[in-house]
Amino acid sequence: MGFKKLLTKKMEFSASHRYWNEGWSEEKNISVFGKSAGPHGHGHNYNLEVTVEGEVDAETGMIINLYELKSVMSEVLLDFDHKHLNEDNPHFKDIVPTTENIARVLWDLLEEKLVDNPKCSLYRVRLYETQDLYVDYWRK
Amino acid sequence: MSDEENFEIFDTCSNPNGHGHDYAIQVKLNGEIDPESGMIYSLQDLDNIMNPVIEELDHKRLDIEISYFENEQPTGENIAKYIWNKIKPSLNSKLIHLKLSETSRSYFECYEEDNYPYER
Repeated sequence: MGFKKLLTKKMEFSASHRYWNEGWSEEKNISVFGKSAGPHGHGHNYNLEVTVEGEVDAETGMIINLYELKSVMSEVLLDFDHKHLNEDNPHFKDIVPTTENIARVLWDLLEEKLVDNPKCSLYRVRLYETQDLYVDYWRK
Repeated sequence: MSDEENFEIFDTCSNPNGHGHDYAIQVKLNGEIDPESGMIYSLQDLDNIMNPVIEELDHKRLDIEISYFENEQPTGENIAKYIWNKIKPSLNSKLIHLKLSETSRSYFECYEEDNYPYER
């Protein structure tokens, strides 16, 4: 029987995006994406919640040092905060920066940075686009 | 650990005079709804279990005034585990999840994997 220990840290970032699929006609883009297809994009204050799981280290009493997690998250978010995701972030050259896709990209980037830490692993990424909408992403 | 090591690992948290937070505890109980009372658990009974634990920790310098934390760092992880162990015997399998918020931006959770009905 496992006793789960999770730690979650939240961080806010602001970004703009446009929902647009180059492979589709303008009509189709507008009919699928509605207002989100506006040519100049639109912005959100995103809230990212990163949850890690691991053992509590006997010496430090921590699963992961919150300063370490904070710096990992801050580094990853450099390419997201105050950016136009379609234009400024290379990960969204070919995929639409929906909340689902942003969460998946964030998972990959966070996991890459946390993989060197043998004591904890990424458990869940929760990304709020607005207060009323969030996406959960995890991989087994 | 040396002062240097402590400061390197714990940073501003190693300030010699300590620092405070407004902690918030959230517990999840799971169980059948009692047909007579219509409740899973009496909130009054839950208060009676939680309040003494909160009373013990509230407005205290944890690493000095709570003997358990003389040997354990009073990190969010360890405080969550401490509270879990205090209330678990009274709530038994009804207690399925505990969440301790340290700030509005960081929190800690613990639960037993085989007694938790949700995937994540």
